[in-house]
Amino acid sequence: MLVYQCEDSLEGIFTAVYNAYEEKREPADTMLSLEEELFLFAEYRVVEPDPDRALKVMRTLKRKFGEDDYMRICLSLSAPDPAKAQAVYQTIAAGLAGKRNLWGSLFDNLSNDYVHQAFSLARGAMNENCHLRGFLRFQELEGGILYSKIGPKNNILTFLMAHFADRFPVENFIIYDDTRNLFGVHPAGGQWYLLTGTQILEESIDFELSDRERQYQELFRHFCHKIAIKDRKNLKLQRNMLPLRFQEYMVEFN
Amino acid sequence: MEFLATGQEMSLMNKLGILTDAAKYDVACTSSGVDRKGNGKSMGNCVAAGICHSFSSDGRCISLLKILLTNECVYDCKYCMNRCSNDVPRATFTPQEICTLTMEFYRRNYIEGLFLSSGILKSPTFTMELIYRTIWLLRNKYGFNGYIHVKAIPGADAELVRRTGFLADRMSVNLELPTAEGLRALAPNKHRKNILAPMRQIQNGIHANKEELVVYRNAPKFVSGGQSTQMIIGATQENDYQILNVAESLYQKFELKRVFYSAFVKVNEDKLLPTLPGGPPLLREHRLYQADWLLRFYGFKAEELLDEKRPFFNVLLDPKEDWAVRHLEQFPVEINRAPYDTLLRVPGVGVKSAMRIVAARKSANLTFSDLKKIGVVLKRAMFFVTCNGRLMYPVKLEEDYIVRSLTGAKERIQFGSDGMTYRQMSLFDTGSFGREPSRTERIAAASGQL
Repeated sequence: MLVYQCEDSLEGIFTAVYNAYEEKREPADTMLSLEEELFLFAEYRVVEPDPDRALKVMRTLKRKFGEDDYMRICLSLSAPDPAKAQAVYQTIAAGLAGKRNLWGSLFDNLSNDYVHQAFSLARGAMNENCHLRGFLRFQELEGGILYSKIGPKNNILTFLMAHFADRFPVENFIIYDDTRNLFGVHPAGGQWYLLTGTQILEESIDFELSDRERQYQELFRHFCHKIAIKDRKNLKLQRNMLPLRFQEYMVEFN
Repeated sequence: MEFLATGQEMSLMNKLGILTDAAKYDVACTSSGVDRKGNGKSMGNCVAAGICHSFSSDGRCISLLKILLTNECVYDCKYCMNRCSNDVPRATFTPQEICTLTMEFYRRNYIEGLFLSSGILKSPTFTMELIYRTIWLLRNKYGFNGYIHVKAIPGADAELVRRTGFLADRMSVNLELPTAEGLRALAPNKHRKNILAPMRQIQNGIHANKEELVVYRNAPKFVSGGQSTQMIIGATQENDYQILNVAESLYQKFELKRVFYSAFVKVNEDKLLPTLPGGPPLLREHRLYQADWLLRFYGFKAEELLDEKRPFFNVLLDPKEDWAVRHLEQFPVEINRAPYDTLLRVPGVGVKSAMRIVAARKSANLTFSDLKKIGVVLKRAMFFVTCNGRLMYPVKLEEDYIVRSLTGAKERIQFGSDGMTYRQMSLFDTGSFGREPSRTERIAAASGQL
């Protein structure tokens, strides 16, 4: 057994996949691990993230499996589960080894445990992404910048930024991932980028809400209150559809 | 641009409150059907799956800013809160107010777009023109590129409906009540013919537009999200079979995207309206939606689910289970061989799991634990499927037995759903016999106290 220890990032994991293929490893006898935990009788290699190698893997994945499956791989790698690296590596290995028909997807063979694991991680991340597209709330700051704070389980800030950059091309907005201390910044009419929390402290942002913001928050609360039908009141259904962990970041529940 | 000025100025908050209150019984609050990328210059895009932005305390989704343009109305429909004989506060939005509200809510990501409906102010054509002006302003002056759903007002000028269609993503005409008799009784100012005319017009418009788009790729799109309708359930005496037949013919003859059912909520006291001692008929509404899905995605027909002799849905079983236990001759279905259409008819197997089964069985022989991974609800499916010729548990393929197990599945399944063991039945076996007896219970049993 050979264990590749890599860092928890797209780059790190893809580099490890590249190394495993470069060394012509047998997938059944190889493991990708994000943790320090040691196995008995296993050989260890620490993988240094290498952007060139990661890019090559990305290109191959896109070419072999198509854009959709590549997206799913990225989504499953955004999950917080440390077993994701191994699941994704084995899924890729199964996909590259097997003969797939033209319309088939990498994630078709759900009876394979690794494929199923990668599939359900991707599904969880996708669901959270879909939820946050709707449940994320922007607040207008004093200078007209829109600011939003989220606390997702999966690292999906990049997917959200792509969605909102397409939706609000003419707005200056910032999305802050509370759990990872990560900022997504979109300047109006420009390209969006990510910043870690320490980088942004140097630039100063005024976190004071504008007057208009308070007024519209009140209007929306009033709207949400009025739109409900009293005779159909069903708080359990509301909680099922909109879990409490999202509600703490939403203006209409504060 | 001119608009109707109200006597005294009301605050925006009050107006929003009144006109939201008046619009809340409209059910079609979806933002699906259109995939439109942002254009890089103005605000907004659309996602085909639709996005829910919040959920109100009744558990219904808030996707669009659902408001009426005005709640003043010349009609006197018995079931409606805004009928002219009701004494309720009235308000009217100006087009500018609606536009700023939509834009400001949208950029804070509160909503996915606008759902604009209206009471009938003066005449249908006058109201339709106000609606058209509002969304023209929103699209062209405010540059809104998000989702817009508007009502086509029955009886309005056809040209106005056509023009509105080029600005809106979805249009809907409310059928109000399932049958013409019901409509005559409760909505004296509305006529079935008037309601179906704009529906047909929109359908023809969508068809003509599709052909146009083949030739000119950049031709303006007409109601690209399709049209929908809604009807009130439980205000009149129709049975489920009639309602389902109406829905089916709407899907087939008018090619609607969605038919919405709205459980009747009694807001007015009127001798023509039924009393609802148990509250709105929510279960009935739920069963109709379940059947609606069976019609649209599962290849069922209305007469398969209900017929003249059994015109109402089963209260305990959902429509698919109900169909399955009445057609046991078609079961059990072999998961590894059955065609997709047959898999879809198994209770506990949905569209997604059926597609996953078809994809997964190409590379492996599926077992029950694989089905569980795929997402099949084995609690329901176990009575109707085999994997490699075997049932999950030794169940009887017998109507009474299956109905009993399905209705109280949790209590009645005698084996843990994971254990998959088959034990000899003993005298003490009951449905809840999963737990090991505790130490004190054992002592009590041994000393004869139990």
